[in-house]
Amino acid sequence: MEGAQMEDFRIEDCENDNNTHEDSQMEESEQNNKHMEVAPAVISVHPTRNSVAVAVGSDLRVFNLLEDCAVILVDEAGGASHNDSIRGIKYGANGKLFVSAGDDKLVKVWSTESWRCIATVCSEKRVSAVAISNDGLHVCFADKFGVVWVVDLPGVDETQAPLNKKAVPLLAHYCSIITSLEFSPDGHFIVSADRDFKIRVTVFPKKPLDGAHEVQSFCLGHTEFVSCLAFICTPDSPQGSLVSGGGDSTLVQRWSRSLGRISFLQALVVVYLEDYYGW
Amino acid sequence: MLQNKANPTINKSTGLPRKRFYRARAHSNPLSDSHFPVPLSPSHVDYSLHYPQLFPSSDRSDGSKKIEFADIGCGFGGLLISLSTLFPETLMIGMELRDKVTEYVKERILGLRVANPGQYQNVSVVRTNSMKYIPNYFEKGQLSKMFFLFPDPHFKEKNHRRRVISPHLLDEYAYVLKVGGIIYTITDVEELGEWMKSCLQNHLMFEPLSETELDADPVVKLLSTATEEGQKVARNGGQTFQAVYRRIKPASQENS
Repeated sequence: MEGAQMEDFRIEDCENDNNTHEDSQMEESEQNNKHMEVAPAVISVHPTRNSVAVAVGSDLRVFNLLEDCAVILVDEAGGASHNDSIRGIKYGANGKLFVSAGDDKLVKVWSTESWRCIATVCSEKRVSAVAISNDGLHVCFADKFGVVWVVDLPGVDETQAPLNKKAVPLLAHYCSIITSLEFSPDGHFIVSADRDFKIRVTVFPKKPLDGAHEVQSFCLGHTEFVSCLAFICTPDSPQGSLVSGGGDSTLVQRWSRSLGRISFLQALVVVYLEDYYGW
Repeated sequence: MLQNKANPTINKSTGLPRKRFYRARAHSNPLSDSHFPVPLSPSHVDYSLHYPQLFPSSDRSDGSKKIEFADIGCGFGGLLISLSTLFPETLMIGMELRDKVTEYVKERILGLRVANPGQYQNVSVVRTNSMKYIPNYFEKGQLSKMFFLFPDPHFKEKNHRRRVISPHLLDEYAYVLKVGGIIYTITDVEELGEWMKSCLQNHLMFEPLSETELDADPVVKLLSTATEEGQKVARNGGQTFQAVYRRIKPASQENS
């Protein structure tokens, strides 16, 4: 009888080596990678092209395109803004705010008028992606465990000393590194892409501090890690189409508002750049 | 495989696999990257592989049936086997991380199909990590029932994030469940039972079933009796803790 032969398969106490060993393995390989890999430079352009920001390693440089000069960043510490490789930078809130974050586990929010750091958020883990909501009220950042955190910035005043705020979890991609975070142009959705080929579109709720639990859609189709996301607004899709690019041979995939796959548009990125540079 | 008389892993008289040849530890590390194929998207799931009699070819038309029940961490398949005859018109699938155990369930289903022509054609199993790949298998609102029977408790607090029911993962389960769909959880570990209940209670996309609804649902009784795990708990006179919730439309909804 099968039943009589059955043994007690359940292990009541999880004192097995898997857990701690695996955890330290993950951190170890991360540290090894740190020494060998060079953090890629990241670039972000102001929405109305007032300025452009570039981060190389821990160095954050902003160039004022209107006045054609470099910008001096004012941080409370007085020294370098970040102590370690910057992994994500982004303009947001229609250009009024800027956020930078990375391996030093600090998320810094800057005013783009004074270029003063107006808020610093401490992350428990290294940060891999950042985004600011269009209304400038919330900053989101993703850590290396795949959790996206959110912080509120209610009417942050530049004249005050920079605030140290505490973030709360918004959503998570289970055990996956999030490579890109974007808000949809209408602010209804937040899109997160990860290294396990997935893109998740989530409704950004009225009270984000309670978490974003309503998944609008998963955009699946990439066969490699997704490295970047962008919303492109064109006359025929004023709400914006989501485009994504990644490590597979598809440079860009285009997703419709109903967020299933439309088509492959490798030329789209090039066209966008041409328009920007006026070539 | 069943015809091979020399194969000791299959019981000659019943045609069903023998558990002793599919021994596996109860615990499996969900964080390790096992190598198994993952469908690119739900439309890439090969129904002809899982339900050959119902889907002779892998081409599926838009209107064709889709999987509606998913047993997450199905173990040796006890629940699925019971559900298969209780809901003969519904397609269902088990997801299991452990290789040997998945093989056992596969053999069990094949054996049952042979012994009972026409039956058990609606049930299958797949080896996968459901904590990472559920959206790859199921479309939005596809499932009407999801089962989490006796999941790994991950006792240490630092390992709580590996639990299969968590506030974050409930977002994904809510996504694949249709509005009105039901999530069934049961455990014999009291702390885990409280954890799962509180995660569900605090999640805005789920509401608990009433006592009357629980009594009226034939599936609820199966939670503690249909699986090997449940039967063992009963034999040892243990207590079980269940939480059964319905997927709802959240009160404040953005229009999309």
